[in-house]
Amino acid sequence: MPHPEERPGGACLEGRTAPAPSVPSIGLARIFAAFLRIGCTSFGGGTAGWLYRDMVLKRGWIDEPTFLSDLALGQAIPGSIGVNLTVQIGQRLRGAAGAVAALVGLLAGPFAIMLGVGAAYAGFGEHRILQQMLDGVAAAVIGLTLATGLHSLRHSRPGVTGVMLAAATVVCVGVLRWPMLPVVAVLAPFGIALALIQPRRP
Amino acid sequence: MSEGIGGSLIALGLVFAPLSLLSFGGGNAVIAEIAQQSIAVHHWTSEREFADLFALSRAAPGPGSMLATLIGWKVAGTPGALIATLAYYLPSALLVFGAARVWGRWRGSRWHNAIERGLAPIAAGLFLSGGIVVLRSSPAGWPVWAAAIVTTAALLRWPRLHPVPLLLAGAALFGLLALGP
Repeated sequence: MPHPEERPGGACLEGRTAPAPSVPSIGLARIFAAFLRIGCTSFGGGTAGWLYRDMVLKRGWIDEPTFLSDLALGQAIPGSIGVNLTVQIGQRLRGAAGAVAALVGLLAGPFAIMLGVGAAYAGFGEHRILQQMLDGVAAAVIGLTLATGLHSLRHSRPGVTGVMLAAATVVCVGVLRWPMLPVVAVLAPFGIALALIQPRRP
Repeated sequence: MSEGIGGSLIALGLVFAPLSLLSFGGGNAVIAEIAQQSIAVHHWTSEREFADLFALSRAAPGPGSMLATLIGWKVAGTPGALIATLAYYLPSALLVFGAARVWGRWRGSRWHNAIERGLAPIAAGLFLSGGIVVLRSSPAGWPVWAAAIVTTAALLRWPRLHPVPLLLAGAALFGLLALGP
């Protein structure tokens, strides 16, 4: 079974064409409710995986090739992949209104939870044990972030120049803490130019 | 901090809206920059608070970077949370909405492939930078480094490990450490 989270590079999806989806008539309230549920239950990040399980496997609102095509675009465009997928799926289901219903649905639950979490933190954040536990959570999350970065780097088959480009990004942004915008503005044209002149690895 | 609430809201919008359009490959790509902006540039949080909010934003459900929401809340309460959330999610959502039609036509073209492949290593580098910056700003020192490295190794070895048990294990382990001597 193709699992969306194992395709962070998106490159493996190239060349696939999205077939015209058979759009079922689904009301805005149902779209909102479905995404509200996904937003509240997608623990641990990886919203794309939760969307896949719900939209493709459970409800069948979107077929798999369409989902994978949307996933590839969602990864190529900046922004949270889960949010980008949500906008595209909502758009397919019910046009612009569907996209708004899906996006608001996805974010409403976590937004409310964050307000509660913030208030709780303001009240109890100074407790030593709680701070220690948060350190533990942060360590695990950092591990997740690093593993995702390494995994997607390996998955994109970057070659020597790609690895150097990734390393340059890490040195500039991660080590030297230079502001990200100018770093990306300088490195992105390099990356695209290299990809243009280099033949694709099979 | 000397700025009024209106100034804070504007500052939140000005920080998060550009980051929305720079988060290649997902919210992890801009964590390093969010840390830099909220700790060093705007003094919205201390390093300690940033590490805590980062952990909280990930322990709760939702798409990755509800971190923006939490920082907005810390700066200016509910209006701050709302502004930061809109600024962080709306620009990229509009972009993907507009791009969905155009992109379909370009699929498979030379430029399309080059942009996808060319930005992939930079996105990966930004992910790694995010992890490194949060590690370095965490005041907890070597136990966090050790746990982060173990988690990374475990996930590379077993990519199908579910994140939630890992987060719980991290919380439980460090909580027990706090109870010790």
